[in-house]
Amino acid sequence: MLSYSSLQLTSPFNHRQTLLSSAPRRGITSNDSYASVLPCRPRASPSLISSLPPVARSLPENSPAATLVDEAEQGAALSLPSPLRRELLPSHVAIIMDGNSRWARARGLPSSLGHEAGYRALKKVVEHSHKWGIRGLTVFAFSTENWRRPKVEVDFLMMLFERVLKEDILELTKDGVRICLIGDSTELPKSLQNLSKEIIEATKNNTKLDLSVAISYSGRRDITQACKSIAEKVKHGLVEPEDITESLVAQELETNRILEFPYPDLLIRTSGELRLSNFLLWQSAYSELFFTDTYWPDFKEANYVEALASYQTRQRRFGQRI
Amino acid sequence: MYLAHGITRALAPPVQKFQSSIILKWILGFCWYLLHLVVSLVDMVCFLNHLLLSSIISTGLLRKYQNLKLNNLNCLAIVVDSEEAEDITKTQKLLSWLSSIDVKCITLYDLQGVLKRTIGNDFKSMTNTSLRECKMSKMTVEILSLSDGKEGIAKAANFLISKYMKDDSLRCNGTKPTFSESQVSNALEAIGYKGPDPELLLVYGPARCHLGFPPWRLRYTEIIHMGSLRFMNYGSLARALYDFSKKNQNYGK
Repeated sequence: MLSYSSLQLTSPFNHRQTLLSSAPRRGITSNDSYASVLPCRPRASPSLISSLPPVARSLPENSPAATLVDEAEQGAALSLPSPLRRELLPSHVAIIMDGNSRWARARGLPSSLGHEAGYRALKKVVEHSHKWGIRGLTVFAFSTENWRRPKVEVDFLMMLFERVLKEDILELTKDGVRICLIGDSTELPKSLQNLSKEIIEATKNNTKLDLSVAISYSGRRDITQACKSIAEKVKHGLVEPEDITESLVAQELETNRILEFPYPDLLIRTSGELRLSNFLLWQSAYSELFFTDTYWPDFKEANYVEALASYQTRQRRFGQRI
Repeated sequence: MYLAHGITRALAPPVQKFQSSIILKWILGFCWYLLHLVVSLVDMVCFLNHLLLSSIISTGLLRKYQNLKLNNLNCLAIVVDSEEAEDITKTQKLLSWLSSIDVKCITLYDLQGVLKRTIGNDFKSMTNTSLRECKMSKMTVEILSLSDGKEGIAKAANFLISKYMKDDSLRCNGTKPTFSESQVSNALEAIGYKGPDPELLLVYGPARCHLGFPPWRLRYTEIIHMGSLRFMNYGSLARALYDFSKKNQNYGK
């Protein structure tokens, strides 16, 4: 097997990292209590990687079980693009899907076609995440600030969300994807609210991938409603005021209540903007931020691999010394 | 002789196949390394280009990076990796650069409170003000750590809830708590954890991560990763500020 070295450009102005491969760095799941996080291993040199012996098999080589295991491992290894290593993939990826309107404007098309193209890009990313074993994917579909957009565009987006949920529910259920919605659902049209409830119920037992769609979501509102939930608990005597800590606030956040991996390890924003725009403000404390100039409808497998490869090369210490 | 000839003929095809597969492997390997070399060279050229540009900006030769128009920058935040923050000369140098560019309000942050311990104490002894905030002649410097972020929000929640419980018992209404974002902001201010929302945040460290900077303040903040503090240079800083000055935010509209 050919071994290859890694490239990493750490210039402050190149927000897109161009990499061929990554040296093995252990990915660390971000954790609210940073002191309990394990430190990163030092980066292994490429020559060390190539000289490592193959993993010993525990099953006899010719047994049927060994064959099945081999085939499964081979299948899993084959489905992962070459610079990525399964053990270094993030557990949870968050994406700010920005740039649909600008993509459409650049092509002289109406914004609605940009959003349709954005949906197709999302489908592909969900497919790749599912295939590569990423356990959580949170996408920022519509913020509270987006309600200020022209009514025509907002109405179109609401209709698009409904259509998408209706069309893809069977496929998602079959693929083991659990759909969750975060955000202020009271602002949504009644039909979309009812449909969301049906879909959440229909997919609640799926375990392969947690797909959270943030609609009418605001990071500040998320924190505010956590305070409200705690207030209700205090009122009912379930919690004492002196027990209100950072951990308790974190527990009451929307993501923490419904997701197995509530903190994104990697947060991607497309279209060249370099901000969070009120998305997962609390949860993104230790998230690797990856900003790319590509508009969301143009975000393809290669872009996703680039983001994941960039994540794999980062030395994430979470304040610990290595 | 015939036997040797026969053996040679029998063995030849596999030997030839073996040799051609080795040659193919070498060719593929060479192509791979050639491709890798090309990408490495392109990468190096880009990096040198940025380095050169930063150096030229540092010398002051490029006019557009002089006299930066920072009207839309009311507050600049800087996140420093705690390990790198131990070297306070770098942070002091950064502050002096920012002062020369006429940045009026700076928020310094590191995860473990190293800056509070080092620079914060220096400021306190010089100006006799609080550890967190110091007003100097030209700019205000606020120094934060993890305890000012999420812990601050937890304390604000405690404050809000205590206030709600007191009001609720006085009214005897038994109403449900209805907190708003502005109430949380006011609570943060009441307990001394409110500060300006920075328009720009520069991250100095190995990871492109804001390391727990107070989440309430990050709503619309531009985040730029500047690389390691050890390798900071004035040109990169000027360029980041220049790029920010040209930004246009729609705020979701």
